[in-house]
Formats: sequence, C-alpha cells, structure tokens
Amino acid sequence: MDLLHNLAFGFSHALTLQNLLFCAIGCTVGTLVGLLPGLGPLATISLLLPLTYSIPTNGALIMLAGIYYGAQYGDSVSAITMKIPHASSIVACIDGYQMTLKGKTGLALFTAGVSSFIGGTVAIVVLTFLAPSLGEVAFLFGPADYCALMLVGFVCVSFVTTGSLLNGMAMCLIGVLLGQIGTDVNSGVQRYTWDLPMLADGVGLVSVALGCFGIAEITKNLDSREERSPFNGTIKLMPTWAEFKRIIPSALRGSVVGSFLGILPGGGPVIAQFAAYALDKKVSKYRHEIGSGAIEGVAGQAAADEAAARTSFIPLMSIGIPENAVMALMMAAFVIKGIQPGPNMIAGHPDLFWGLVASMWVGNCFLLILNVPLVRYWLSVFKIPYSVLFPSILFFCCIGTYSVNNNLDDIFVTAAFGLGGYLFSRLDMDAAPLMLGFILGPMLEENFRRAMLLSRGSFSAFVTRPISATLIGLIAVFIVWQLAAFLLKARPQPQPA
Amino acid sequence: MIDRNLARGLFLAAIALAFGLGALRYPIGDFARAGAGLFPLMVSALLLLIALATLVRSRVVAGPRFEFNPVNIALLLSALCAFALVSRVLDMTAGIVAMVFISGFAGTAKYSIVRNLKVSVGLFLVALAFQKLLGLSLNLY
Repeated sequence: MDLLHNLAFGFSHALTLQNLLFCAIGCTVGTLVGLLPGLGPLATISLLLPLTYSIPTNGALIMLAGIYYGAQYGDSVSAITMKIPHASSIVACIDGYQMTLKGKTGLALFTAGVSSFIGGTVAIVVLTFLAPSLGEVAFLFGPADYCALMLVGFVCVSFVTTGSLLNGMAMCLIGVLLGQIGTDVNSGVQRYTWDLPMLADGVGLVSVALGCFGIAEITKNLDSREERSPFNGTIKLMPTWAEFKRIIPSALRGSVVGSFLGILPGGGPVIAQFAAYALDKKVSKYRHEIGSGAIEGVAGQAAADEAAARTSFIPLMSIGIPENAVMALMMAAFVIKGIQPGPNMIAGHPDLFWGLVASMWVGNCFLLILNVPLVRYWLSVFKIPYSVLFPSILFFCCIGTYSVNNNLDDIFVTAAFGLGGYLFSRLDMDAAPLMLGFILGPMLEENFRRAMLLSRGSFSAFVTRPISATLIGLIAVFIVWQLAAFLLKARPQPQPA
Repeated sequence: MIDRNLARGLFLAAIALAFGLGALRYPIGDFARAGAGLFPLMVSALLLLIALATLVRSRVVAGPRFEFNPVNIALLLSALCAFALVSRVLDMTAGIVAMVFISGFAGTAKYSIVRNLKVSVGLFLVALAFQKLLGLSLNLY
C-alpha cells in the first residue's frame, strides 16, 4: 500500500503541466539524438546540462532522464533503416536491417517501438520495487565498501565499453587523475593548477564531456568522409496478428534480461542487447530465422536495451554510485541541483525520486506515440546534411560551455579536451570510462582516505569487511581470467603435422 | 608512421609521468594520514604500469598504424577559439558567424557562403531564444 501511495505522490508531481512539458521535451530530444548518427545521449546530456540551471530541479532531472531513455527508443530507427547504429543498437542492425532489405521496414520499426515500450514498462516496475529496498542495503556500506564498489564499476565499464580491460582501466585512471586538478578538500593544497585561477575549482565537467564527446565525435565523423544516403522509402507500419503474437514473448524475455543487466555495475543497454539476442537465438521458437531478418531478432534486443536504460537508474538513486558514463553525468546533474543521490535521497527528496519514477511511466507513453504512429515523420531527420548539422553541434558546445560560469575562457578548455578526445579516438581509446573516472575520482579518493584513516593505514580494511572483500575478490577473479585469456591467446599454436 | 599500440603506450606513459612527477611536489604523508600527493601518485603509478604493459604488448603484437589527420580538428578548434575571441572583442553574433564560416572549411562538402549565412542566422535565432526564454546571459548585440 505504501508503494501505491508513493507512486500516487510521484504522479502528483509528474503530471503537473510544467513537468509534463519537460518530460515531452526530454523524450523528443532523446528520440532525435537517438536517430542522429554521431550524437549520443552522453554528448546531448553534456550539452544540455548547463541549460538546466534555470529550470526547476524536478523538471530538469525529468528532462535529462527522458533524453537518456528516449535515445534508446530512437537509436533502433537509424540502425534498422540505414544500418547506422549507436553503441546500444548494434544488434538492431543485424535483423532490423535484414528486414529493411526484405521490404519490412515498417514491421521492424513497429516491433522495435512496441518492444521498447514493453521493456520500459517492465523495468519501471522493477525500479519501483527494488530501488527503495536497495537504498536500505546501502546504509550497510562503509568507506572501504564504497571504494571496492567503485573499483568494480571501473573494471566492468572498462571491459564492457572498450572490450579491453587494459585500455578501459587506463582511461578510468586518466579520468581519476583529471579529477585531481583543483583544490584538495582535505588539505587546501592546489594540485596541478599551475597557479591558474580558472583551475582552482578543477576542470569543468561540461568542458571534459563536450570536448571528449562533442568535438571529438564531430571530427571523427568529418574524417570518415562517408556521405549518408537519405532514407526515402515508404513504410507500412501495422503488423498482422500472427506477426504481433511473435513480438510479445521475445520482448518479455528481453525485458527481464535487460532489467537484470541494467542494475549490475558496468551494465546498461550495450551489453543487454547482446545478451537478449543470444538468449533468443537459444530459446526462441523461430531461432533458425534469427540473423536473416526475424521479428525476434529485433524485439528482444529493443526491449532489453530500453529496460537496461531504465534500471541503470537503480544503483545511482539507491546507492549513489553511477554504473556507466551516462549515469555519471546524471549524477553530476543531481549534484549541480544540490542533491546527493544515494540512500538518503529517497527519504530526503521523495518528490524528486517518486516524481522521476512516475515521469518514466508518462515518458513511456510519450515515446510509444513518438516512435510508432509518428515514426515516419522522424525519418525525414536523415535528410539534414551533415554540413548543416555539425556547425550547430559546435554552437551548442560553445553555448553549453560558456553558460556554466558565463566565462569565455572555458571554451579554450573545451577546445583542449576536444584535441585530447580526438587523440583518444585515433588511439582507439574509448572516452566513456574516462568520464566515469573523472566524476567518481574525487569520491574514490575521499572514501579511500577515510578507509585508510579508520584502519590506521592498513589495507586489511578492504579484505576484512564482507562486502568489500567479496567485491575485491570479484575484481581479482576477473583480472586473473583476463590474464589467462591473454596468455592462452598469445601461446604459439602447434603446427599441424 | 608508428604502430598505434606503441603510440598509445607512449601517450599513457607521458600522462602518468606528468601527473606522477607533479604529485611529488605535494606532501605525501603516509597511508594513515595521506597528504595531497599520495592518491595521485598511486593512481599515476598504476597508469604507468598499464603504459609499460601496453608498450611491451606493442613489441609482441603488431597493431595497425597510428593515423592522425590534423586538418579537420585544427579547423574545428580554430572555430571554437574564434567564437571565444570574437565574442569577447565584438559580440556573440559576430562570434557565431566567425565560428560557422571557419568550421565550414572542415569536411568534404563544397564550401558555400549562402549555406553558412543561413546556418548563422538559424543559430542566432536559437541563441536569441536561449537568451529570452531560458534567461541565459549571452551578449548577442
């Protein structure tokens, strides 16, 4: 009953005209950035973060959340129609694009839209029930446990986003080091500031995010010199009853897989889509068709993608630890608004927590309308030439950076990180773990110093507490597994006689 | 051109050394009472280890060539810097025009003054909307 009462309380906030408007803006912008190649939710949330200063807290967070889960709806569309995926819609390219080649674009888009709706709905139920309970568990965490949890996050995100633990960890550590720039809160010593007043408060989050994602992404797209051919085909959206019946089981399987993987550190839409696709290939009644344009190949992954995006809010809102780079930016948005996500948030700001949960139900309905009956209108977005699009993104980068402190000098910092981000991309190093390291770095240092102080300088604090010992054990197993895999791969193969 | 893995290893080592040597300038303390330099020193040491592992791997496994195209990134960074400088000297409207006209040289599309003018006008209107509706402090004129 309490839960229903809380949900009703959340809806009383989410259904105000102002918050409905912010939810609609978030979902629309999210769908748009999901559609556009070279502009993901990470870059867009970075761009819009400074603009939310003048928006009320509830509305700002509802809008930013809408951008994230809205982008998961939209990204399937570009993958299905033009085989241009974002990280979280790579799998949609396989069967979705095959369906387009067979002239079933409309059916593929309908399947993706409806499956995303199902995935989103299941995930919100999980979020509603699980987040408050997990929040109570978070009270058991000490500084050493928080440190270990952050390290697990680093390891998982490093591996999932880059595929190479070594590269990903390197980027996390660079992020942590960048987070050290500025005044040390414990001693007041200015670190790595070179006596520049603009660095005394540290490097701006927006400058790092826009440089590494916005500017670097534009340059990468310009370098690739690929001319996109606009999609001009006509589509027939409505499926037959037999086709519709095939969507449901696969979407439900994907929802469960996505909801579970979204909660785990390093989880989220990227890994969930692959897991759901693999599961469908094993258990689906039509598994022999998957890979050559089957409905199940689109439904399961779209549902998992959307479900994982929603449940990835659970660790952030209940424990206060973001589990991927987008959630790290969401955490920054909370902090900017003066709210520390974590176990105290649900009790301290129930309007915010339950309002956000309720807005996800509302956003899900908005997105169903935007992505099923209105999807044909979104396809015209592909006709915008990149020569018009990229100066606009550049402009948003400038305004976004400037608006944080009304300081034009910050644009030079963004430009420097743009060069850094471009170098990272040329060196094949994904910047997402860097962002996580940058945001969690100060928190990691704070908890590490506190844990060491409490244990009088002994590292035993990390192995004597059950939570941190388990987490450190998991990291050790993962590293040994990675090392063994590398050595086995590097071992010379015996020549056949 | 050098191997990408080798370039990555050198790049990581340079960052680790820059931050690690910098950390030595601050009080280190001990683990029980850590100084401002201890944590960055530990992180830099870990990064240096990864850099060395990457360098060793580059000697064992041949990687693709490291390629760097300076033209587009130089144009985009110039456009950003031009926006900041022109906005300071004149106003943001002039800054937007300078940014669009410089960035227009990047990429493969044919340079078009008319297109750049249209984009500039569009972006000015967006900036005006930000100023009037969101209350952003933009010195557009």
